[in-house]
Amino acid sequence: MPSFYHLLKKIIQTGIGKSRLIMAAGGLGIAMILLLIAIQAHTDFDQLLNNQRNANESADFLIINKKITNAMMGQNARSEFSPAEIADLQKQPFTEAFGFITSNQYKVTAAAPGDLHFYTDMFFESVPDSFIDVKNDEWKWTPSDNTIPIILPNDFLNLYNFGFALSQDLPQISQETVKALPMKITISQGMMTQEFTGRIVGFSDRISSFLVPVSFMDWANGKFGSGQTPSPSRVIIKTKDPSNPVLSKYLEDKGYSTNQDKIKYSRTKLIVQTIVSVIGFFGLILLVFALLVFSMFIQLVIASCKKEIQLLVTLGTAPRQLQRYLMRQFVPLYITIGIAALLLVAALQWWAAAKLAAHDMFISQWLAVGTGCAALLVLVLVYIVNRVNVRKYINAIS
Amino acid sequence: MSVVVATAMDIFHLEKALYWGIIKNTSYMQIQLDNLVPVPLRDKIVQRSSDIWNRPVAFTPGSFTKIKAPSGTGKTTLVHYLYHIRTDYTGQVLVNGQPWASYSKGAIAGMRQEQVSVIFQDLRIFEQLTALENIELKRVMNAQAYCTAEKVKEMAARLNVTHVLNQSGRTLSYGERQRIAIIRALVQPFQWLIMDEPFSHLDEDNANRAAQLIAEECKARKAGFILTDLDHDTRFAYDTHYNL
Repeated sequence: MPSFYHLLKKIIQTGIGKSRLIMAAGGLGIAMILLLIAIQAHTDFDQLLNNQRNANESADFLIINKKITNAMMGQNARSEFSPAEIADLQKQPFTEAFGFITSNQYKVTAAAPGDLHFYTDMFFESVPDSFIDVKNDEWKWTPSDNTIPIILPNDFLNLYNFGFALSQDLPQISQETVKALPMKITISQGMMTQEFTGRIVGFSDRISSFLVPVSFMDWANGKFGSGQTPSPSRVIIKTKDPSNPVLSKYLEDKGYSTNQDKIKYSRTKLIVQTIVSVIGFFGLILLVFALLVFSMFIQLVIASCKKEIQLLVTLGTAPRQLQRYLMRQFVPLYITIGIAALLLVAALQWWAAAKLAAHDMFISQWLAVGTGCAALLVLVLVYIVNRVNVRKYINAIS
Repeated sequence: MSVVVATAMDIFHLEKALYWGIIKNTSYMQIQLDNLVPVPLRDKIVQRSSDIWNRPVAFTPGSFTKIKAPSGTGKTTLVHYLYHIRTDYTGQVLVNGQPWASYSKGAIAGMRQEQVSVIFQDLRIFEQLTALENIELKRVMNAQAYCTAEKVKEMAARLNVTHVLNQSGRTLSYGERQRIAIIRALVQPFQWLIMDEPFSHLDEDNANRAAQLIAEECKARKAGFILTDLDHDTRFAYDTHYNL
């Protein structure tokens, strides 16, 4: 004996709008593929950037200062960050952590020990410890200590060893030797002078400055400084993604500068993001049209079977039974389209992964979780929209 | 039906029954008319007296009711009002004390599956289905079929339509359609059967067979019927007569 479902199938013919159904299904398929490609491409590009970023660990930290222009020369205060500017920078979404680079407010001179006859004026800066890439037990200072730990920029030693020493016929010095040499550091302000022993405890790739512990800087600025807290002219931020176009645009708009090398991917990323957004946008538009055609198809089917549906309802068929029957006609179609689109994008991803791997660029061979979720979301959306339509049109005639 | 110990399943079924508007352990479905007047016939009706129109009427549950009506007095209209497929009236049709309009579409569908059945004068057979499929449609519409497929065959044999069961509804004669419509109305559970000239296309012999089957099925369900017809007849042991 035929089931109720089979009898309904004989009564409510859904073949009437076949061309519309094919159009809607095709539209849905293409829309889905575009959307999934957009989402997958976005994930892939992030992955590519992350891989490159992982190779350069210090890229997460950016030292930011104002550009020194000719107009500003001679007015040091104009390169300082005002409290409002600092607050603004701190509240930007890309700023994960923020630190001042504090300068000394006193004179610093360094002299080499013994007979080396080396004497120079110099400066110190300090940053919070969490921003320093040198982890060292000696990196601490209390007012009772006469030895100041100092971190030098790696570049500074390189400049000396490969630039200055070679050209001046001076000996090249290893990091170990530099660390072993105690220096005589004299800090002074007016008549006040104090001598310390400076000891190099490490070399930083991240911060190009002569660093001393914050505790020393605060103490020395308090004792030898003017007593006023100066505005900083350099700040350091920690950011998850230095290639974030929002970050580079912010810096450009404000006239700030940082190590350009670290933000060079932002432009590429901006272009890719635009292309991906355009693809995704077209996908969305197409999805909306597919939904419209679907709803026209449903309307047509229900209108063409109006008499039959009315008689079914008269005989006691519940509107819910009719809705369920009609949805059963469509749902397998969506699921097929969804799976087909996912498979296609998965194949594309696998192919792209293989192609890129040949150029030493690595992306996952598999679809991202987000892509799968998006496919599911689109299917749920289509289901809901169609259910609402079926319900509306059935209720209208029953 | 008295429920002493209600299990979780019982409560579940009760809720389902309530949802469909079926509460089997309450008394029979009550149908009442409250000063019902069809809008298109208003002028004609106010000029004459009627046992049905424009007065309160309560149909006794389980009773065999005959409404005799000459042509043009609104017989089919009344049947459509009772079954709630037309609403162009003033006054009210009350089902269990509530007007039809107060029931949801789902609740009405539940009643049409479980409590009230109908035989239309214009028969309303699906032409794209076979005769048997037309009957089956009604039988399998309910989640649990009330009668078996064998029972359908048996009823078809009694009404002499076995030979047309596999014919398309399109090719059936009016007499055959009428008998199929009668069987279709009898495969579901009901407390009221509403019939609009159910034997109009049948010869005397077939009409009597059909009447006998209908009476048996009503008795089996302890159900009543409301039958409208043009003339006086003695096919049923009517409990009540009305003149429309």
